[in-house]
Amino acid sequence: MLLEVRDLHVEFRARDGVARAVNGVSYGVAAGETLAVLGESGSGKSVTAQAVMGILDTPPGRITGGEILFQGRDLLKLTREERRRIRGAEMAMIFQDALSSLNPVLTVGDQLGEMFVVHRGMSKRDARVKAVELMDRVRIPAAKERIRQYPHQFSGGMRQRIMIAMALALEPALVIADEPTTALDVTVQAQIMELLAELRRETGMALVLITHDLGVVADVADRIAVMYAGRIVESAPVHDLYRAPAHPYTQGLLDSIPRLDHKGRELHAIRGLPPNLLTVPSGCAFHPRCPRARDECRTDVPPLHTVDARRGSACHLWRECLHG
Amino acid sequence: MAEPILEVRGLVKHYPLTRGVRFGRRAGAVRAVDGVDLTLGRGETLGVVGESGCGKSTLARLLVHLERPTAGAIHYKGEDITRLSGRALRAVRRNIQMVFQDPYTSLNPRMTVGDIIGEPYEIHPEAAPKGERRGRVQELLEVVGLSPEHINRYPHQFSGGQRQRIGIARGLALRPEVVVADEPVSALDVSVQAQVVNLLARLQREFELSYVFIAHDLSVVRHISDRVAVMYLGRIVETGTDTGIYDRPAHPYTQALLSAVPVPDPEGREKRERIILTGDVPSPADVPSGCRFRTRCRMAQERCALEMPELAAPTGGGPTGSVAVHEVACHFA
Repeated sequence: MLLEVRDLHVEFRARDGVARAVNGVSYGVAAGETLAVLGESGSGKSVTAQAVMGILDTPPGRITGGEILFQGRDLLKLTREERRRIRGAEMAMIFQDALSSLNPVLTVGDQLGEMFVVHRGMSKRDARVKAVELMDRVRIPAAKERIRQYPHQFSGGMRQRIMIAMALALEPALVIADEPTTALDVTVQAQIMELLAELRRETGMALVLITHDLGVVADVADRIAVMYAGRIVESAPVHDLYRAPAHPYTQGLLDSIPRLDHKGRELHAIRGLPPNLLTVPSGCAFHPRCPRARDECRTDVPPLHTVDARRGSACHLWRECLHG
Repeated sequence: MAEPILEVRGLVKHYPLTRGVRFGRRAGAVRAVDGVDLTLGRGETLGVVGESGCGKSTLARLLVHLERPTAGAIHYKGEDITRLSGRALRAVRRNIQMVFQDPYTSLNPRMTVGDIIGEPYEIHPEAAPKGERRGRVQELLEVVGLSPEHINRYPHQFSGGQRQRIGIARGLALRPEVVVADEPVSALDVSVQAQVVNLLARLQREFELSYVFIAHDLSVVRHISDRVAVMYLGRIVETGTDTGIYDRPAHPYTQALLSAVPVPDPEGREKRERIILTGDVPSPADVPSGCRFRTRCRMAQERCALEMPELAAPTGGGPTGSVAVHEVACHFA
């Protein structure tokens, strides 16, 4: 495993209590693999990624337990300086909002080149040559001229390409993309996903794709981890999960997609609302919304049951769920 | 098609661009809506799809008269509302209401839910006598699936999905006949979107509403719409029944748009063919000559730069008759 997150816990201290944003998350990513982390807002999918990258705001956030093993080393035991050297060079992140992630007062050439100056000790001139190469690589037309432009002079899709270029600059083994296409139009989203897939094939990097979009996941993921209220509720290879979900939440999400044969009828909605992290329900956090909930679901937190060698489900009733 | 309740003809909205310090020096215009024809039948849902900058939100604001058009007409039950003002306009506006996209910014944080939903009665006092308003608001809360006891709460005490229900209740307060919904579910979590889509469908049956449903999510639009119009750079490039548009798209833009939507099923994903458009949507301040899509179109030829294609029935497709069901604005469709 390239990356292994083990029993990670993250808390946020808020005025009216402690929000347990991540509550014992474990997942692994093999070299070259694409793992999709699927979840709604507040599920803890982005906080987990920030903890892995070492960019969690502390305070108010605090990692209260667990290990993050990257190439065999526990990142949580490293010094700030050691982590800084890994970030960017060995693992990199792509954010949803490129405009606020790029520096508005530096040209894109300076920002791309900075990676090589800081991490590789290159001269400014050499770094500039590298920056043009990178822009070509993410297929930004007229790279030589546009390298002198500022982020606001690029369209949303082009800015996202610049972010991708920056993430790939030092050829990291792992890239984490947090909702990389959510802010984009559907035709531009298709361009960016296509670009990511091509670059992944070329470089052999592993990709953790954080998203709420079941369509995007079905398109690119090898495996999926579904998160709910700070926990992974189901993890499975992509084909298995779409064919037969083993958790009622996953099932609910798949059923709520508008489908052709359902035209004009009610959509299968999941009832209720995602939980408030300050007052997560007892037992299984999904039980107030779950059509299958029983007494034990209200009292006992379900462990991640082994469904088969490659699948897990945190549902007491996973067998019933899996077999309809 | 049902009897038309709203007919839009040649609708145009240009926002002038000025240059320099001297006030009023025209330097072109943003052509947000640039000649749109639409018909909404009574009790029908018309879906309008398109990407950001295509003019779909400006169209929504024109339909509810939040903006005055530069040119064109909007006929409501045969009367051109763009020419109305004062009392006559107010009477028409009661019947055409709007639901906004963002349930976080479209509700005043200092007003209680009761005041927000009841505010339309302040502007249209004839709709409900003062003594009855509180009762009406409580009824509306119940209709949209919220507890009538929450009438004194503030917006921040509700989740995004609940806030959108408040916005919908406000839109229904005056018992309108037409509701224009601009991206009503796109700010919501996936598990909550389906609830709100179901609510809108139920309200349509209960109150015999006609919807203009504007969205960029093509699968939601297909689910809820009877007919669909596809917009690109201020114009409608294709319109038809939901099956016509989704199963037999005739415009190269519609084809690309549909093929770009990720399918939520990994089966056979390696073989799926996708039309990837190159480049970005041009600026509405500088639209290409002729067909606006030609700069990104794989079929574009010389003619496309010279002649603007008009909406017409696609060759070999659709029934011929008095009312064209499927229309497309492309020289080669």
